[in-house]
Amino acid sequence: MSNDIFVITEHMDGKFSDVSFEMVGKAKELAAALGGQAVAVVLGGGVDVNGFASDSTIQVDDPALAQFNPEACGKVIEALAREKSPRLVLFGWTATGMDLAAWLSARLGQPCVAYVKGVSLDGGGLTVSSQVYGGKMVAEVAPQGDMAILAVLAGSFPVEAGQGSTAASQIASPVPLDGLKVKFVEAIKPAAGDVDITAQAKLVSIGRGIGGKENVELAEELAQALGGTVSASRPVVDAGWLPRTRQVGKSGLKVKPKLYLMLGISGAPEHLEGMKSAELIIAINTDKKAPIFNVAHYGATADLFEVAEAMLELL
Amino acid sequence: MLTTIEKIIFVLLALTSAGFFFHGVATIVRSVRAGRPGPELKSVPASLIKAGITVLFQRTIFKARRVLSAVHLGLFFGLITYAFVNLVDALEGLVPGFDLVYGGRHLAFPFLNAHAINTFNLISDLMSGALLFSITVMLVRRFIVKDKRLSYRENVLLHPKVLTGGQAVDSLIVDVFVIMHVIARLSSQAFRLDAGPDPFMPIASAINGLFGASETGVHVAWWISLGWVLFILPYITRSKHTHFTVGPINLGLAKQNPRGQLDPAVPLQTANGNHYEPGAKHIHDLAWKRLLDPYACVQCNRCQDVCPANFYGRPLSPSALEVNKRYLLKEATFGAHPDRLLLPLTETVISPEAVWSCTTCYACVRVCPVGNEPMADIVDIRRRLILDGAELDSGVQNALQSLATNGNWMSKGKRLRGRWAKEMEFPIKNATEEPVETLWFVGDTASFDERVIPNTQMVARVFNHAGLDFGILYQNESNAGNDVRRVGEEGLFEQLVEQNMEAFGKAQFQRIVTTDPHSFNTLKNEYPQFGGKFEVKHYTVALLRLFEEGKLTVKNKLPHYKVTFHDPCYLGRYNGGFTAPRKLLELVGVEFDEMPRNCENSFCCGAGGGQIWMGKVAPGERPAENRIKEALATFEKNPGDKQQLFIVTCPKDMIMYSDAVKTTGNEGRIEVRDLIQLVAEAVGVEEPEMVA
Amino acid sequence: MNIIVAIKHIPSIADDLPVNGSNLDFDSVDFVLNEFDEQSIEQAVLVKEASGGTVTVVGVDLIGELDNVLHLALAKGADKAVKITADDPGADSHQQAGWLAEAIRDMSPDIVFTGVQASNDLDGQIGPMLAARLDLPYIGGVSSVDVVDGAATVNKEFAGGVGAKYAVSLPVVVGVQAASKPPRYAPISKVRQIAQTAAIGKVAPSGDGAGAGLAFKKMAPPVAAGHAKMFTGSPKEVAAQIVELLKGRGLA
Ligand SMILES: Cc1cc2nc3c(=O)[nH]c(=O)nc-3n(C[C@H](O)[C@H](O)[C@H](O)COP(=O)(O)OP(=O)(O)OC[C@H]3O[C@@H](n4cnc5c(N)ncnc54)[C@H](O)[C@@H]3O)c2cc1C
Ligand code: SF4
Ligand code: SF4
Repeated sequence: MSNDIFVITEHMDGKFSDVSFEMVGKAKELAAALGGQAVAVVLGGGVDVNGFASDSTIQVDDPALAQFNPEACGKVIEALAREKSPRLVLFGWTATGMDLAAWLSARLGQPCVAYVKGVSLDGGGLTVSSQVYGGKMVAEVAPQGDMAILAVLAGSFPVEAGQGSTAASQIASPVPLDGLKVKFVEAIKPAAGDVDITAQAKLVSIGRGIGGKENVELAEELAQALGGTVSASRPVVDAGWLPRTRQVGKSGLKVKPKLYLMLGISGAPEHLEGMKSAELIIAINTDKKAPIFNVAHYGATADLFEVAEAMLELL
Repeated sequence: MLTTIEKIIFVLLALTSAGFFFHGVATIVRSVRAGRPGPELKSVPASLIKAGITVLFQRTIFKARRVLSAVHLGLFFGLITYAFVNLVDALEGLVPGFDLVYGGRHLAFPFLNAHAINTFNLISDLMSGALLFSITVMLVRRFIVKDKRLSYRENVLLHPKVLTGGQAVDSLIVDVFVIMHVIARLSSQAFRLDAGPDPFMPIASAINGLFGASETGVHVAWWISLGWVLFILPYITRSKHTHFTVGPINLGLAKQNPRGQLDPAVPLQTANGNHYEPGAKHIHDLAWKRLLDPYACVQCNRCQDVCPANFYGRPLSPSALEVNKRYLLKEATFGAHPDRLLLPLTETVISPEAVWSCTTCYACVRVCPVGNEPMADIVDIRRRLILDGAELDSGVQNALQSLATNGNWMSKGKRLRGRWAKEMEFPIKNATEEPVETLWFVGDTASFDERVIPNTQMVARVFNHAGLDFGILYQNESNAGNDVRRVGEEGLFEQLVEQNMEAFGKAQFQRIVTTDPHSFNTLKNEYPQFGGKFEVKHYTVALLRLFEEGKLTVKNKLPHYKVTFHDPCYLGRYNGGFTAPRKLLELVGVEFDEMPRNCENSFCCGAGGGQIWMGKVAPGERPAENRIKEALATFEKNPGDKQQLFIVTCPKDMIMYSDAVKTTGNEGRIEVRDLIQLVAEAVGVEEPEMVA
Repeated sequence: MNIIVAIKHIPSIADDLPVNGSNLDFDSVDFVLNEFDEQSIEQAVLVKEASGGTVTVVGVDLIGELDNVLHLALAKGADKAVKITADDPGADSHQQAGWLAEAIRDMSPDIVFTGVQASNDLDGQIGPMLAARLDLPYIGGVSSVDVVDGAATVNKEFAGGVGAKYAVSLPVVVGVQAASKPPRYAPISKVRQIAQTAAIGKVAPSGDGAGAGLAFKKMAPPVAAGHAKMFTGSPKEVAAQIVELLKGRGLA
């Protein structure tokens, strides 16, 4: 039994995801309080593994780990966890972490918490808060047992706290990785051509408040500065200011980006239907009673043009 | 007049013609009888007589297109006259000495006096002229002016024969026949006038003036005139002109149940032991009456003219539906393609996209001069498509799924239905817990939609102010199912009816009041078939009654508003609820301008029949947008600086028209308000500050 | 091929969620089928239609109302339905996965479908846990499945339209994110007809019944729910606060 905290990091195309750093940062804080170590675990190679602020980083390299393979990853993590008995194992609640966290929990007979938004230690006891029921509820639970497996929602902790320069140590896979039943075949890249707003992580969405076609460019510049795309409410599309492929809502597309920045959209139910499960919704509207403010996470009663221009200067 | 040989030839030809004619009639009868049983018809002879009278006065035709209808009068009375004229002409040919010119100068029949004969001559002569005139107008309209109303949108599914102009050929044949026939008949009379002009035959006399009299002329003209008739009679049974006779019959057999009551998905009388799948996939899945419709169809496209889906550029044309059915039946019965009857209707008569575009506004049925019900076919086709698991529009599917699980189409939890009531400044009774006089059936949109809730709450305040003893069902209310049934989901409709009947069973009340015309329609017209026999009123009627009883009084008249009013399909055209809203507008003292399309002619907002659930929205001017423009044009006729309001009495209208005001860029010029807001203002009921 | 779909009956989030103590008040919430299970049922039926086999839908009956859901699944093309009669509305994913694993083991599955997640998966999803207990591989986030000759080809989605194709030898547990076609609609008349005729298998919960090992301390709506946190100040100040927020979240 140790007080170490394992962070199962994730990377793709030679880059770690933000949530990996978020978890390392949080792990460091918790490990310090528990008197253990924050250990970043990297599976596979082809990525700079020395950029975490962890107490130590271990990289397990094996041809079977060249691309994400849930079966191979599971075996390695299970073996590591059995060998090292960490206090916590952190996964991202992401396309990869979701395949592993609950599986590991059942394999080891240790508790698991998903949809994790926060972790705290009070008097040595661990309290985990989890955003369940589609974000309508926050549960606070105390995992019982020697180990807990947590699957953390992206955006729960700051990224910077996890960034540092810890040299990683390479180890061979603790288990043989042959005879796998799951085999990676090939990567699927998003189709080129027309932008698919449903596949965008960041959307700057404009409504009638944008006023006219000539102003769409401003939104486009802002989207570009943020690394996203412009989407719209129906009236904007009806007016021909943007093509129909950009319409969000009941009679348009349903989107679920990480950021949905709304400029001059009132928040009609038909529009909400298409975007309410976006992870972060920020609304700018001159009308302080606009219904969108009941749905957005952040908002400001302001002129969209002034805010957009000011943002452009800062980005 | 005729020689013996001529007589023999004539009789032989007449018998042949009659043979083909009756074969035609029998074929039609057979093809119609292949349909399913329809709802039972009561007192058919009386209805037929009534239809005969209606047709005689051309009432149903004058529902639209006044000028053309007047021209049609000429055709109609002309042809009726000609039925007699042809008989008389036959007698003239066959009975020696039977000759009507000059008041029947040689006539040996004592009971026919010269006055009667002269009257007949005058009528037939003038009617000949009227016929020629009317036919010419029709020809000019179709072939020279090319009236767009006689053509179809490019995206409408059409039978190959229609595409290649089959209808025009058909019209041309019959029109040319009529012209030739009338001219021949006029000439045959003219050639008889060997003693100069007959004052009772002005047109024939004019022709006589040109060509004089001629015995041979009489023979030739007579043969042309009656020969044509012998040819045309069998032809008619194979052409669109079956409407001459089937039209009035069809009208006599038209829907007897309330407009708002759909025919069941499977025939009720299944005594013949047949098993029927619900709805219609093939043409013979339609009730026999639906198969008679195409024979009655005039192909006038009046229904297409008033169809909001067609206006919106959707591939739906109710008349194309009937015309396609007609050609499908014709090629199967008279032609070489009985196999095409086995193709799904969605391939032969109406495209699936068109099927899903109908708003079930009833305008097509209402306007049809011969009592056709294209809408009924559409609903039946939808029913089977749903049953067969056809791919649905995602929005419709979501709505139906939510209706099945939550009892509302907005994916809201059942318990949230009464939330608007709980947020009010006074308690609203739960009718399942204590008896109430009036059970208010609120409906989905009025219960859940943030834009409509202020109106819903205002209705509650006004009821409360009037001291009405009312309550609602809270979470026990489910969607009434009107649009569910019209979208074709019969099973879900039945489930919803059962849920509501259970809720009604828990409650004690004397009457039901609804805010939503759609709920109103099905509760009033369809629930009785499921045992739900209640007095159901729309809130406009309830409000008017409260005024009449003195429980509501107008404190402030509202002359500073200039308003127009939109008749919701399911209140107006379906249920005749035209007067209550107008009387209320009069009571509150606003300036009221009627839009050109009002009452029976009201133009659908485009939301009904499940359209409001659609996920895909087509480009093009939406019906609601067109309606807002109509309202503004109405106001412009009588300009002023009053505040202009578009008054609605349906929660769906509130949504559709508020949206249309925005999308047409008319905010500031016109505002959409529920009638209840005017009533509240006039009786002095206000929204309390804190509730806002 | 023996195709199994393991489903979850979960509290409906269409309603307000009442709380009793430190968990939901399960007596006053409605239960509905997990939305991702609709996708997994559809995917299972699509696989059956393409490659043959029978689809058995199995779920834990928590409140005695699972029949409705099972009837719906049958109407959509499943062949058999089985319920595990637990009668415990608060049973967590671990307990449910334990019972399901015992029931499914006896069915000798070739492929097990689950929804990729459920909104009440506080202790993780049942799919990976089933795989762990049945000693089968698991792959989640799946958006299409093709089965040929005892092997499946699945597409797994990562973020932003990027994904990967995997070849998996059967048996396997698959967590479906989206079926390769949108779930079909089951006409209610068909559902009701099935409700009158269909036999639903009943199994008593068996196995260790081990729970998640989580002690509940609190269950409450998020503090700021209901209204956006408002940035105030001049447009420039607002912009600065937004940019700061985005940077903090790695979004700018
Ligand atoms: C059947 C049906 C289906 C529909 N489907 C969809 C759909 O799929 N998607 C969709 O979006 N809509 C849909 N709608 C339309 C929907 O009801 C609303 O009309 C629409 O979403 C409103 O768009 P908006 O918010 O851009 O416009 P508005 O409601 O007009 O809002 C404009 C907002 O901009 C604000 N504003 C104005 N100027 C400024 C400024 N300078 N700075 C900041 N704020 C400003 C205003 O205060 C206002 O809140 C549908 C409607 C119907 C009836
Ligand atoms: S009911 Fe209305 S929408 Fe439907 S076909 Fe008739 S006119 Fe068109
Ligand atoms: S259905 Fe009626 S209205 Fe339509 S074209 Fe035929 S006759 Fe005219």
